[in-house]
Amino acid sequence: MFATLSPNEWVTLAGLGVAILVVVGVMIYLCLGLFQARSLIRRELAAYFTSPIAYVVFVVFLAVTGSLFAETLNKLTAKGSVGVEHPLQAMFDDNYFWLIFLAIPPLLTMRSFAEERASGTLEMLMTAPLRDWQVVLSKYVACFVLYLLVWLPTLVYLPALLDLSFRPARLEDLTSPRSAVWTWSSLALVIGLVLALVGAVLLLPRLGTRGRLVSLGLVLGGVVLAGAGGWSHYTRDHREAPAAQATGVVGLLATPQGAGPLLVATTEIARPPLHLVEVRAGLDPVQALTFYLGVTLAGAMFLALGLLVSSLVRDQLVAALIALALSLLFVVERFWRVDTDAGGAFDRFVYFFSVPLHFQKSFSVGLIDTRHLVLYVSVAVFCLFLTVRSLESRRWR
Amino acid sequence: MIHVDKLTKFYGDYPAIRDVSFDVPRGRVVGFLGPNGAGKTTTMRILAGFLTATSGTATIDGLDVFWDSLEVRRRIGYMPENCPLYPEMRVTEYLRFRAGIKGIHGREASQRVERVLNRCWLTDVRRQLVGTLSKGYRQRVGLADILLTDPPVLILDEPTAGLDPRQIIETRKLIAELSQKHTLLLSTHILSEVEATCQGIIIIDRGRVAAKGDLAELRSQHKNLEEFFVRLTEREEPAVP
Repeated sequence: MFATLSPNEWVTLAGLGVAILVVVGVMIYLCLGLFQARSLIRRELAAYFTSPIAYVVFVVFLAVTGSLFAETLNKLTAKGSVGVEHPLQAMFDDNYFWLIFLAIPPLLTMRSFAEERASGTLEMLMTAPLRDWQVVLSKYVACFVLYLLVWLPTLVYLPALLDLSFRPARLEDLTSPRSAVWTWSSLALVIGLVLALVGAVLLLPRLGTRGRLVSLGLVLGGVVLAGAGGWSHYTRDHREAPAAQATGVVGLLATPQGAGPLLVATTEIARPPLHLVEVRAGLDPVQALTFYLGVTLAGAMFLALGLLVSSLVRDQLVAALIALALSLLFVVERFWRVDTDAGGAFDRFVYFFSVPLHFQKSFSVGLIDTRHLVLYVSVAVFCLFLTVRSLESRRWR
Repeated sequence: MIHVDKLTKFYGDYPAIRDVSFDVPRGRVVGFLGPNGAGKTTTMRILAGFLTATSGTATIDGLDVFWDSLEVRRRIGYMPENCPLYPEMRVTEYLRFRAGIKGIHGREASQRVERVLNRCWLTDVRRQLVGTLSKGYRQRVGLADILLTDPPVLILDEPTAGLDPRQIIETRKLIAELSQKHTLLLSTHILSEVEATCQGIIIIDRGRVAAKGDLAELRSQHKNLEEFFVRLTEREEPAVP
C-alpha cells in the first residue's frame, strides 16, 4: 500500500502523523492535570446531588423521554400500512424534546462559576495550587459526566426501539470446553468482562490512591480486552462463514464434469459458528450508535457554552438565561421555520448550525456527518478556551 | 520571608495601592493595619496569586508571586475575608477536599485532617454541615484548611472580623500558637488587635504605606499610638460640601 504513494501523499501522511502525535500528547497532558485535580471533580459531582438540580433534571428528562418512548412504541406497533424505519428519529424529532434538551445544559452549568463568584469561594479555589485550566476542565468534566448520566437510563429503550432479540448459546455448548463457542475471542470477551467487573467492585471500598489506580486499570484493561475479544467474536461470521462457502465453490470448480456426491459434500454451507449470545436487530442498530455519538458531542458543545457564560456572570439565574439564549441559536430553526427554497443558500446556511436538523438528517438515521462533529468539537474547545481566559481576566482587570 | 517592592495596582483608573513596599522577616507576626478600603485586601490578594499587580514585585521565600505563582501558592496559607466555604459540605468532607486540591490524598490526607481538627478545636463539629456552623467555627474551619499543608507563611485577611469577644480571644490564642512556627501577615482595621498579637506593624492608608516598623519602636516614637493612627487616617479627608 505504501509503495504506490506519491511524494505529495507522503507529505500529507507525515503531517497527519505529526498532528495525531501532538493531539495525543496534549490529551495526556490534560488527563494528568485532571488526575491532579480529581478531588475537585469529585466535589463538583457531589454538589449536584446535594442540591436539587440533579434530581429535577433527571425527573423532567426521564418523564419527557418516557412519554416520547410510549408514543413511539405506539407508532412501531400500529397495525396497517404505517412503518417506522428510523425509530430514534421518530422518537426525538419532537418540539418538546428539543425544549428540554435546550434547557438541560444551562441548568447543569449555571452554578459552576457563578455560585462560587457570588459566595466568594472562587477566591479560595483560585489560590489553591491548581492552574486555571485545571479548574475549568474539572468543572467541565463533572457536568459532562452528569450529562452522560442523565442520558444513561434511555439506553433501556433501545431493545424495544431496535427490535432486538437475544438468543444465548445452549447450556451444553457453553459447558463443553471443545464446543465451537469457545474460541480465543470469546474467551477474551468473558475474561475481559470479569476483570472489568472485579475492578469496578474494587473501586467501591477505600483502597488509597494506588489501590484505586490498580482497580481503575483493571476496569479499563478489562473493557479493552472485552471490546477487542467481543469485536473479533462478533465478526466471526464474516471471517469464517464466507471461507467455508468459498471452499465449497472451489470444490465445485475442481470437478466441473463430475457432479455427484463430491459436489454435495463440499457445497454444503458450513453452519455459521456458534456465539455466546446471538443478538439480532430488526432495525439497523448503527443508528443508535450515531445518535448517541451526536448526543454526546452536541451536549459537549452546549455545556461548554454554558460554562463560559457561568464564568462571566455572578448570578446563577442570569447565567442560565444567557446560556439558554445563546444555545437557542443552535436550536431555533426547530421552533421557527422560515419558508425558503429547500436547498437554497439560506437553507444550506441554516443547516450548518441547526442541531435538530443534524439529528433529523444524519445522526438519527445512522449517518455521521463530520461537518457537524467539527462544529460541535470546535465550538466546545473554543468556549473552554474562552472560559479559561475569562477566569484569568480577574488578574488584569 | 515576604518581600514587597513598590507594588501598585490599578482598578481601571482607580489606584487601589500605590508603591507599597514592606518586608516581613521569617518567624514574625506582622499586622497590616488600615481603615476600610485602604488596600489591605488588594495587597493580600496579590500576594496570594489571586490578582496581579499593575507594577512592582512581590516575593515570598525568594519566589516571585507572579512568575512562580503555583510554587508560591504551595508555600502560603491564605484565608480570604469572611472565610468563604461551601455550605453544603460537612467539615471533614470539606477539609479532605481542600487537602485533595492541595495535592494530598489517601491516608495522609486523613491523618492531616485529623491533626488540624484537633489543632483548631473542631472535633465536636466534624460531621456538621459547614452551612450550619457559627461564624467562629467557620473561621476555625478556614484556619484548619490553611494549616493542612503546614505552609511556612500564613496570610490572614481580617481573621477576627465579625466574631464575638470570646471567639476573638480564642482566635488570638490560636494565632499566638501559630506564630511559633509560621510567618504571619494578618490584616485588621482595629489597632488593639495588632497590639494584642503582633510584633511588627504596617499602617496603610489610601493605598500608601503610612508607617511601618516594630510595634515597640512605633510606640516609643508616638506616645499615643491610637491617636496617631486616627490622625493618620483622618488626614486629608475629602471635605464634604
